[in-house]
Amino acid sequence: MLTATFYYMAFASVASALLAVTRKNPVHAMLWVLALFLHMAGIFLLLGAEFLAAVQVIVYAGAILIFYLFVVMLLDLPDEEAGPRFGQHWPLAAAAALGFAGFAWLARLSTGVAPADPPPAAAGPQGSLPAVGMALFGPFALPFEMASLVLLVAIIGTVVLARRRSAGQ
Amino acid sequence: MIVPVGVILGLSAVLFGIGVFGFLARRNIILMLISIEVMLNAVNLSLAGFSRYFTDLRGQILALFVIAVAAAEVGVGLGLVIALNRNQPGARVADLTKLKW
Repeated sequence: MLTATFYYMAFASVASALLAVTRKNPVHAMLWVLALFLHMAGIFLLLGAEFLAAVQVIVYAGAILIFYLFVVMLLDLPDEEAGPRFGQHWPLAAAAALGFAGFAWLARLSTGVAPADPPPAAAGPQGSLPAVGMALFGPFALPFEMASLVLLVAIIGTVVLARRRSAGQ
Repeated sequence: MIVPVGVILGLSAVLFGIGVFGFLARRNIILMLISIEVMLNAVNLSLAGFSRYFTDLRGQILALFVIAVAAAEVGVGLGLVIALNRNQPGARVADLTKLKW
């Protein structure tokens, strides 16, 4: 049952990713990416990463995608559907993507490290919120603070970039 | 583990390839940025799969940091798009050939 659910999620996420990169209308592409993010959150749940699934829904599907949609609607791209959906070099892009995915696919087959495939039962609720929180504020406290610094720099940078220049400048 | 880790890594590779194709083929800056999100999501998937496989929490922590950096990247990227759009309407990369306005 869980395996069937996983395969449904996998096929749905691949299909929605393909639709997202091929739709002409940017809003339709965004909505397919939303479907991709939600299915990915489902896969995270199946993998036992509950906190990651929640963050995926809240941050990706909630904040980041709304930001994208907001900018798409703010820019108002009426002639987007008139032009070709890809550049003229798209076969080259497809070849590059196929090559890269092929390399990743091959690398997946050569498992250098082979831990016990049925994980030890003592692992417990390793994806649960207390464990993630203890790790974030314990051994990963410095990277956590650096992430907040990165976000602060991004906020300031965005404000500086998108600021309307006054006439005096 | 409900599926072998190889299946998860294969799915991640396929999604990453789709993201690479979208980034290289699309000519709209916003859709190129969203293709980057697809790629980052594929990487997060493989990190979560490894985290499950090795029963090690560090993969999930790294995925959380990837999400934080993705949020920062979206902020700066879309700020750039808005700033470019103020000078020249539209979001096509082919139009962005001037170094200075």
